[in-house]
Formats: sequence, C-alpha cells, structure tokens
Amino acid sequence: MIVKRIAWTVVVVWFAITATFVMTTAIPANPARALLGPHSTPEAIQRIEAYYCLDRGIAGRYACYVGNIVRGDLGESYRSKRPVATIIAEHVWPTAQLALAAIVLQLLVGVPLGVIAAIRRNRWQDHGANVLALLGQSAPTFVIGTLAMYLLAYRFGWFPIGGYGVGLWSRLHHLVLPAATLAAVGIAYYARVVRSEMIDVLDQDFIRTARAKGLPERDVVVKHALRNALGPLVTLVGLDLGVLLGGAVVTEYIFAWPGLGREVLQAVLEVDLPLILGVVLVAAIAIAVANLLADLAYVWLDPRLRDRS
Amino acid sequence: MRAVALLLAVIACNTMDRGPREHAAGHVTPIDGGTLHYATKDSVRTLDPAIEFDEVSSYAVHALFDTLVDYAPAVRGDLASGHDLVPHLAARYEVSPDGLTYHFWLRDGVTFSDGTPVVAADFAFAFDRVLAMPASPFAAFLDDVVGARDVTAGRARRCAGITTPAPNELVIELARPNMAFLSVLTMSFATPLRPGPSDDERQHTALGTGPFVLASWDQGRRLILERNPRYWDAAAIHLDRLELTENVPRDTQFLMFERGELDAAERLSSPDYQWIMDRPDWAPYVQHRTVMNAFGSRMNVTRPPFDDRRVRQALNYAVDKDHELKLLDGAAVAAHGILPPGMFGRDDTLRPYPHDPAKARALLAEAGYPLGLDLDYVIMNDGEAARLAESLKSDLAEVGVRVRITTLSFATYVTAIGERGGPAFSKSSQLADFADPVDFLDVRFASTSIHDENSNNDSFYSNPELDRLLAAARAEPDRAARAAMYRRAERILYDDAPWIWEYHQDLTEVTQPYVAGYAIHPIWLRDFSRAWLDR
Repeated sequence: MIVKRIAWTVVVVWFAITATFVMTTAIPANPARALLGPHSTPEAIQRIEAYYCLDRGIAGRYACYVGNIVRGDLGESYRSKRPVATIIAEHVWPTAQLALAAIVLQLLVGVPLGVIAAIRRNRWQDHGANVLALLGQSAPTFVIGTLAMYLLAYRFGWFPIGGYGVGLWSRLHHLVLPAATLAAVGIAYYARVVRSEMIDVLDQDFIRTARAKGLPERDVVVKHALRNALGPLVTLVGLDLGVLLGGAVVTEYIFAWPGLGREVLQAVLEVDLPLILGVVLVAAIAIAVANLLADLAYVWLDPRLRDRS
Repeated sequence: MRAVALLLAVIACNTMDRGPREHAAGHVTPIDGGTLHYATKDSVRTLDPAIEFDEVSSYAVHALFDTLVDYAPAVRGDLASGHDLVPHLAARYEVSPDGLTYHFWLRDGVTFSDGTPVVAADFAFAFDRVLAMPASPFAAFLDDVVGARDVTAGRARRCAGITTPAPNELVIELARPNMAFLSVLTMSFATPLRPGPSDDERQHTALGTGPFVLASWDQGRRLILERNPRYWDAAAIHLDRLELTENVPRDTQFLMFERGELDAAERLSSPDYQWIMDRPDWAPYVQHRTVMNAFGSRMNVTRPPFDDRRVRQALNYAVDKDHELKLLDGAAVAAHGILPPGMFGRDDTLRPYPHDPAKARALLAEAGYPLGLDLDYVIMNDGEAARLAESLKSDLAEVGVRVRITTLSFATYVTAIGERGGPAFSKSSQLADFADPVDFLDVRFASTSIHDENSNNDSFYSNPELDRLLAAARAEPDRAARAAMYRRAERILYDDAPWIWEYHQDLTEVTQPYVAGYAIHPIWLRDFSRAWLDR
C-alpha cells in the first residue's frame, strides 16, 4: 500500500509542476525584459533568452525545466542569479520552524479548548470558547498580526517587533508572535472540530459503560473520549503542516520572518519561473508527504484500520 | 471579562511618550566607533557588482566596492551637492580632445581589503567579465568601448579598447565619443576585481576596495559590514559597523525606529510621515530630497488618439499635479519634463503645464474630440500607483476623457508597454543609473531606442531634430554648449509631450538625533558610509 501511495505522490508532484508551468506560460511577460530593466538592447535580451531557454517553444522550455529537475538541478533564479536550491534551502528552515511552532500551538491551545467546550456544553465555558473560535476564524491574519505586534511588541515591549533573532533564546522570543498569529485560525478550527467530535463520542455507549463501571470522569474524558475524538484531527494536522510548509505569506511579511512565503510572492510578481517552480515543487512534496504521514498515523491510531490493511 | 477590562484600562492609561529616546551628545568633531542599524523593505539579492541592479543590493555593494570616479558626498540642505564627479580610485585622469581616449592614473597605495595591491589589470578583468557574462545587465553601458561587442558576441576574450600600459595606468578607447562615459564609470560594475572566485562565490563574498568589508551575511535576514582598516580614505570613515536588517516592511521599520531598534527609517508611510512632521521634537531629524527619478504617463505617439500632439498637450493640461503632490505627502516636485531637479542640462526656467481644464477641453475639441474620448490606462500593481491613477482618472474625467484602469504585475507590465502594439497609455518612470541626461533623454526618446519589442523608447517618439540634438550633445566636449543642447531638447519634448509630465519623487528618511554626518545622496540614496554617532 505504501509503495502505491508513494507512486501517487510522485504523480501528484509532477502534476503540480506541470500545472504551474502551464499557468506561467499564459502570462504575457518576458522575464528577460523584466531582468534587464530600461537598458536592454535587443542583443542583450537575446542573450538572456538563450541562456534561460526562453527562446524555445513551450515544449522546448518544458523539456528544459523538467530535464533539469530530473537531473536534480532546480535552475537559477532569474533575478538574483543564485541557484534556486540554495535560495529554498535558506528559507525552508525558517518556514519549518514557524509551521511547527504554529501546529504545536494549535494543538496545545485548540484541543483543550475544544474538550472544555464539549464537557461544559451550553455553559459559559462553551460560549466563551465559541466566541474565541469565531474571532480566531473570522479575523484576517493581517489584523491579528498587526494588533498583536502593536500591543505586545510595540506598546508593552514584551516581544521583538519583527525579525528572526540570533541564538536559541532570541529565536524563540522572535518566534512567539508570528507563530501565535499563524496559529490563531488553526486554534479556532481545532477547538470546533474537537468539540463536535467529543460531543459525538461522549454520547456513545462505551462512554456510558466506562462511567457505569465507575471510572473517574477525567479518565473517561481523556483516555476514552478524547482518544477516539482525535482521529479527524490527525488528518487536519497533516494537511495544515503541508500547507504551512509552503510558506505563510502574510504572517512572514508582517513580522519580517525570512521564510518561503515572502520569496514566492516576490518571485510571482517578477515571473521568476525557476524560483516559482522550485517552491511549488517543495510545497507539493511537503503536502504530499504530510498527507502520507497523516494517513499512516490514522491507521496506527485506529486498530480496526490497522487490522484490515 | 475582568482581564480584558484590565488590559483595556492599562492601554488607556499607558500614554506613551513618543519623542526621541536619546539626544545628540553635542560633539563638534566626528567620533569614531559604534554600529549603525538600518533596515530595508526588500532583500539584498547579490554582492556581485557585475549583477547588482536593484536599490537594496546597491547599499551593500556601494559600501564594499569603489570605482575610478565617484560622485561627491551629499551635504544636507544643499540640493546641488552629490552630483559632481570627483576622482576616486583614480588619482587623476585625462580625456583626449577628440573625446575618444580616457587615461586614468590609479591612486598610490590602494589595496583590496586583504592587503593585496590594486593594479590596472584588475579593472580590465572586471570590464571583460561584465561584457562576457550573459546574465550581466551592464554590457550595454560599455557598448561605445572599442572591441566591446567582440567580447559580448564571444569573438574575443579581452576587450581590445581597454589596455594597461603600466600597473597603475588604465586606458579606455571609445569607438565614438560619449560625454556621459565618465558618469557610466561611477556605476558599481566598474570596480576592480581580482580573478579567482567563481561567479557563484562572488554572489555572497566580497573582496573589494570600499570603506567597509563583509563581516557576515545571513541571506534574506541580516548583513553586517565592518570598517575596512586598509581603506585608502580611512579618515573619512567613522562607524565600526553597519548592520542592515532585510525584508522589514516600512510600517514595521518605523515601529522599530521609535523603539530605538533602528537608527534610521526610510520612506515613511503617509500617516507616519504626517505624524512625525507635526512633532517639533522629531521634525528636525526628517530629511527629504529629490533623487534622480521622473514619473509620468507615457503615450504611444504612433497610435490614435495620441498621434495628435493637441491630445497629448490637452492631457498635460488636464492633470492636476498639485493634487498628485498632496497624495505623495508633498514629498515630490511637479515635473515639466523627464530631467530631474539638480540634473546637468535641465532647463529650470520651464514651468510644469498648469492645471487648466478649459484649455484641455478646447485642445481636445480642436483635435476632433469635442465629446471627449475613452482611454485604457495601464499601471503596475502597487498601492501608490493605484492612488495616483485614481487621481489622474478623475482629472481626465473633468475634461471628458473617460479612463479605464488596468493593473498588471511588474514583469507583465514592463513586457507589455515595450511592445509597439502593446497598451498605448500607461504609468511610466525612469530611475537614474548615473547622473547624466543621456540616461534619461537618449534612453527614452531617441529613435535609436525604438524596437518593435522591448523598446526602451516606449512612447515610440521619433523626431529627427531631437535625434540630431541628442547625438550632437553626446559628443560635445564643451560643457556649457552641451547643457544648452539639452535645454533645447527639453523644450522640444515639453511641447511635443510624449508623456504627461507629472512629478519627481523625494526620498524621505528620519534618523535618530545622534546620527550625524548623513545626508540622502541623489544617486546612492541611503549611503551611511560617512555617518557617525554623536552619543
């Protein structure tokens, strides 16, 4: 089964690159012109076009890009002339730190919030959690991020305003606000998912049995109900992790966090094709792999699925 | 609930003092030492002077690399400063009477930052490299040098017109006179380089002769420069370090500046700029200066209705430049042409087209459009361009011209407007690479700059009289006569109006009170190399 899934992952990644390539060919922009600025001579433009395979037809360009990728060469950014693999390598680690921190926050805050809302259904704790979830889900990232920066960093000075930090402690300190901003939506969403799953599970027969045989309520909730309610969350975490690894444009921009999102935004504006394709490739792989891991974790968590496979 | 109320109460009571946190100590002579922190909106892309073409990278490259000639330093409050060429790595130079031979004698004792002496061959190597590199955008600037095209075409490895008769002498022969050539040599690609490092290594390392050396670069995050102890003009440099944080949005820069985390913040957003100019404790530390740029709306003069000069003039009369300047917070001056204030050859007696809707309507009627007309207007996707386009749209509506605005991404925009059949009416700008009219007039309005695709002359304006004038001015050794030719050229363009001449934009910057010796440079913009900290 795993071999089949990996084969599918390759197909998905290939499809993502091809689709991105086709879309970029639809843009009526000549990167050579954008690159040379107002001092381009026709000769200089021809030189650049030949250098980057831009003088070939669509099929020739596609062969040029895919051929390089297969050889393990992601090409060279039009704009900075640096290898795309190097640019991605520099920015993927900051993005990964932000993504992991956001996921951890979403779980640490969202899950307890959902559990509390479920066991205190229709009481003030439930309503409070609902309001928080509504705020988190409906306020755009740029509002949450800007407000958090203004209050917690600028007015109170508890956190740095922006940047990446040097050294472990400073890095963590710089990470808090962007990670919290990015996690706001996820926290709200996870809380709602956990609440509704928990409500379903808490109504089931085996919970009644657990209570009837005299288990303490804490054990009923944590060991029996929560464990069964977490299934859908595993899939969500897998999807989120994949998406977040592709870069969080707005959060990274507001907090000057040097991740992939910022780079890809700039690359799209400048039609820096090799860099766009490189980032799409990395993001597609991240999403596909995270989904694969989520499926495997799901099987591992649910003995019924494990036995069937 | 109580916690939220408490938080709100804390915020309400916490009226911050937003004045400067630290004042100048009051030293009269510059003090050595200290680190100056600043930030940029975008990232430093490369340290290779043969590639560097964007503003942010130029901050690093200009501090790391030196050229034969350079502009004099800027002086705060003196709008004429910063334009004159002064010998730099060249102790002196001579130009032959026919304007074809440039002979440079290098300054004694100049070394790279590792201590090895600089020789003339290091310049020749750097020029050959620019010519041979397909990815370098600068080969076109050396087009007048004898043999340059042989190197770009791959027929020769060394440029025949660049010779080194002695280790400290460099001779450059031109095939045709170009009085802007010395200005071309101020560009960072004309720096000495030692053979050895690969192109890839040069992207992120730097062995130069500039006032600073590269201490570290965490790409996309932070670039740290340290004072070059071997710099030939060491007495002019006072800072120990320059620390540049990359990719910080301008609003964030201003917050960091107010918190004292940055020593300077550039191009403040409109509310921040208004606020700071109203504060007597901050206003003295805000600078703004017109830098070498021109903004307007270019029209393809070969396509109707823009093939009629009266229409182009009417649009010039219709646009309210004063309103545009207000939208730019007053940090701009109205334009009468493409040459920016301070530029050699600019005709300062010309006045911008006045805002005269009645005259605009009359001209349109005369041209056969008494009922007005419909136009498409193309802009790039940035907030400022959109605001100004809306202003232009309402101005033109007033004279019966109905405008539809189309927004394109940068790459699509530059490709489209360079095509003969592309959008005929669009926002346009020209930013200087060097301070000479050639970089504005020849590039944008000479017939030789017209091509069916990728045309630098994107108004496709062709005027034999202007062509003759520009060609003669390019070759004219007498500076006064040359300036007079450019003034005539400006008048021709003013009347023919291939653009709506709109404005020249200032760069604004606020520094902490203790930052001394810094002035915005008209070409290098944010050049902190000669600043010092009075604390």
